[in-house]
Amino acid sequence: MATEVLHQTDQGEAERRAAFFAHIAAGGKVEATDWMPDDYRRQVLKFVEMHANSELMGVLPEREWILRAPTLKRKLALTAKVQDEVGHAQLLYRVAEDLGKSREEMWRDLLAGKTKFHNVFHYPTETWGDVGIIAWLIDAAAIVAQQALRGSSYGPYARTMQKICWEESVHIMHGRDIVLTLVNGTPKQRAMVQDALDRWWAPIMQMHGFRTPPEKDKDLAWRIKAKSNEELRQEFLAIYVPRILEIGLTIPDPELRYDEEAKRWRYTEPDWDELTRVVTGHGPKSAERLQFRQIHYADTAWVRDVILGEGPGALAAD
Amino acid sequence: MGEGAVTATIPTATLAGPEDLDGATRAALAELLLALADDEFVLGFWDSEWTGIGPALEEDVAYSSIAQDEIGHARALYELLAALTGRKADDLAYDRGPEGFRQARLLGLDRGDWAQSIARRYLYDTADATRLAALAGSSYAPLAGLLGKVRREEAYHLLHFDGWIRRLNDDDRGRARLTAALDALWPAALDLFTPLAGEDLLVRAGILPRPFAALRGEWLAALAPIFAELDLPLPARRGDDGAYTPTVAPLTGGRDGNHDPAFRRLHDEMTMVYREEPGANW
Repeated sequence: MATEVLHQTDQGEAERRAAFFAHIAAGGKVEATDWMPDDYRRQVLKFVEMHANSELMGVLPEREWILRAPTLKRKLALTAKVQDEVGHAQLLYRVAEDLGKSREEMWRDLLAGKTKFHNVFHYPTETWGDVGIIAWLIDAAAIVAQQALRGSSYGPYARTMQKICWEESVHIMHGRDIVLTLVNGTPKQRAMVQDALDRWWAPIMQMHGFRTPPEKDKDLAWRIKAKSNEELRQEFLAIYVPRILEIGLTIPDPELRYDEEAKRWRYTEPDWDELTRVVTGHGPKSAERLQFRQIHYADTAWVRDVILGEGPGALAAD
Repeated sequence: MGEGAVTATIPTATLAGPEDLDGATRAALAELLLALADDEFVLGFWDSEWTGIGPALEEDVAYSSIAQDEIGHARALYELLAALTGRKADDLAYDRGPEGFRQARLLGLDRGDWAQSIARRYLYDTADATRLAALAGSSYAPLAGLLGKVRREEAYHLLHFDGWIRRLNDDDRGRARLTAALDALWPAALDLFTPLAGEDLLVRAGILPRPFAALRGEWLAALAPIFAELDLPLPARRGDDGAYTPTVAPLTGGRDGNHDPAFRRLHDEMTMVYREEPGANW
């Protein structure tokens, strides 16, 4: 970050803020050790914490299928993918920790339902077709957002995204390979993957979030993220709609088409009430997945006690 | 570990592949490969159950990585077996009923709590190190060659679980859980050294440099100083000839396809998708 901002400690608070946000607006980066306004720090923390929570909770729907993977190659690839997601959670919690909230606090808030995670991880996985659709399209939707986050004003977050994006691109290839194999398989396998797409399309369309006007989006104004929700959704559709259709799958939205004049994709209005319900913890699997985490967190509390040499229950889930 | 206790056997002849074996030796080798592969395969499945729910994120990542190594080793061993029997590695792995599996009783048990998972890994990895050190001198060149790579990875696993054993043992609560888990697991662990059908043929051909009964003694001898250092009970006795023999009765039958009911549940789950459309490309 610009050194003049760092060292002008005699400035008034308002002037200091103004200089900070001017620095950001000009494309400058902020490092963990730099001075930053509390509201900026809180906003970055909230954003990164939700991302970390999402990586952690995103492990659950897929880990159910590690044991069920139908070939040795798939089993290896899926274990590696889920391991990557755990690794991403670890990296992101470290970024968040530097902003002043401990990992234990973040876990407790997550387990207590006080903090959020992405909508797509509140839904059930029903068949092997889901494993392909998640790794291909949900990871693709995520990577569109994450690539933009490499331009985040918060430097440690932007750099973490470099590594994460690279790994996610491997996941997409793994997912696409599963989907292609099913599409070229038996009629039952083709039906399996189409059914998965039918169930996942609505959550995917909601995944980038509400069409918040850019001027009202604080994350955008402060360049915590670099693109608006709708820009990301349009980008995803532009790349993936042709790819989905090309392999012979049907997208379950009769309104979906590219509007040449407006230069944007038109689609059936996503059910924003569903998105609100789901991300506030009322999705079909929200309670069950949190409970699953709580149970395992409590089951392994003694291990953390032993490692840290603390009294019983020091880190147990509340 | 185990290295010091192992006397290298130099095979008199090198067996380059299946074509160098007679029918009976080939069948005995198939039993050996299946036992080795199934041990790794099933353990890899139990290990991967910890993916996403480990006691700490760092350990979660490490455990997942170890699970992948085991599945990778199993795949390589199934491929050696495939060269012998003509069955594809995936069919060997997925197209068998639970009674067709040959893992030792230790690997048919549930993963249990963290202490049980760690105790099982430690017993398995130390036993495996002894077994692999011997088999690295196998006259069957494809097996000796593969195990060179496997041993390098297994050495890291052992280092990891040796650290865990010590950490748990250093704490009263950890030690209580660890000793209870070890006690419960010893009889099933001894099944790793139950003699295989046709073992004498393998020993004669230099494919298995020493019989499993001898390897069991080597394993216990290697564990003795470590268990003494950690003040953990070792259910074994040193005879006048210096050889270690167990003082608990082994729980055998794994090599004949008898397993704990937990394995039946695991098998159901691991073949669930495969069974939906058997023979299909996945």
